[in-house]
Order: sequence, then structure tokens, then C-alpha cells
Amino acid sequence: MGIRLFFIGIFISALIGAGGYIFKLQKDNTILKANAVKLESAVSEQKTLIENQKKDFEELLDANKKMNELVSVLKKDLEDLDKRFNKKNRDVGKLAIQKTESIERITNGASALATRCIEIASGSPLTEAEKNATKKSEINSECPSIANPNYIPY
Amino acid sequence: MLILTIFLTSCSGVKQLEIFKQEVPREKLNLNTPTPLELENLRWIIITSKNADEVFKKLEEQGIDPVLWGLTDKDFELLAKNFARIRNQLKITNDLLDKYKEYYEPEVKKDE
Repeated sequence: MGIRLFFIGIFISALIGAGGYIFKLQKDNTILKANAVKLESAVSEQKTLIENQKKDFEELLDANKKMNELVSVLKKDLEDLDKRFNKKNRDVGKLAIQKTESIERITNGASALATRCIEIASGSPLTEAEKNATKKSEINSECPSIANPNYIPY
Repeated sequence: MLILTIFLTSCSGVKQLEIFKQEVPREKLNLNTPTPLELENLRWIIITSKNADEVFKKLEEQGIDPVLWGLTDKDFELLAKNFARIRNQLKITNDLLDKYKEYYEPEVKKDE
């Protein structure tokens, strides 16, 4: 009788243990599923982050390129101005003595254009005429790079 | 036996993963863009030894004080180049600001 009770006890304990173990496995399974969902979400977020970083990097490169282009076209405008004063050993002073009125007229015209260049550089929007200028006679010769986006030097 | 089973099964438990995330966006600066300059046109007068008297006479006739601030041809050239340099710097600085704004506040750019 004692031995039977002993085995019944063992059997019941085993049953309860197995039940508990199964219950625990089910609980673990639920947690693992939730973890998997979270990991998938984390992976997806990481992918988005990498994509955004890639996009940011491309934007950085593009901004850098545009700034370098701007610096080089502005440098060219400055070189052109220098050429206007000194082209073929030109002496503006002597020219002004010889052709005072015409040099005065040219100076005032260029001064007005240069003034407009400063307005544009400070953020003034381009006029339609400035935007559409494609010929030498239509452009702002003091700063075509910023005043006439559609002008291609020829 | 029961205690032993519970004890053993509890040892290798799977812990729930917790991910904490809290993103607080920084306040935008949103400074107003400076108003573009509207400049007055200057009038340049060229004076030579030949026309000086005539120039001053004309000024008097126009009711303008017969006095002029002078530059030599070389200084005029330098002034023109200095202004061109200032203009270039202004343009670069403004474009730089635009690029920063475009990069850090892209939605602001779209709204504009």
C-alpha cells in the first residue's frame, strides 16, 4: 500500500511538473513571438535609418558640390572684372582722359549693374528679364553667374 | 520532485525584450530671412585736368555744392574689385545659410 502511494505521488508530481513545464513553454513562446516582432520592427527602423543617412550623405555631397560651383563662378566674375580693367594693357585712366564722356557713361552703367548685383547677392529675387537673358546684350555683365542663370557664355 | 521541476524550469527563462525610445525634436530657430537690399544708384563724374572747370560749373548750375570726392583710376579699380569681393562673399554666405536651412529644416523650405 505504501509503495503504491509512493508511486502515485511520483506520478502526480510528474504530471504537475510536466503541466508546469508546458505552461512555461507556452509563456516563453509568447514572449519569443513578441521579441521577434520587436526585432523585426527594430531591423526595419535600422533600415530606414540607414536609408536616411544615405540620403543625408547625398544631400551633403550635392550641397558641397553646389557651393564649390558657386565659388568658382564668382571667382570667374572677379577675373572678368580684372580683365575689363587691364585687358591688353588697357589703361582706364588714359582712356578716361581721351574719351571722358563715354567712359563716364560706361562707368555709370557698370556701377548700376554692380549695384544690382549686390541686391541679388543679398537675396533680391531675379526679374523675368534677368532670368530669361541669354544674349550678351541682355545680361548683367558685372555678375552674370548670379544674375542670369540661363546665360551660357559664348 | 515537484519543487525540483519548478526550480529547474525557472532557471532557463526567456526574458522579454524591452526597447526604450524617446525622441524629442529640437525647437526650430525660425529666424526671419533678412530683407534683400534696395540700393541707390551712384553717379560717377570723371574729372580730368581739361574738364575740371566745366564739371564744377555744371555742378553749380545744378545747385550741387561744387565739391567732389576723388579717386585715381587705380583706386577706382580697387574699389570696384573690393565691391565685387564683398558681393561674392554676401552671395556665398546667403547661399550657405539657405543650404543649412534646407538641410536641417527641409519642411520649412517646402512651405516657402
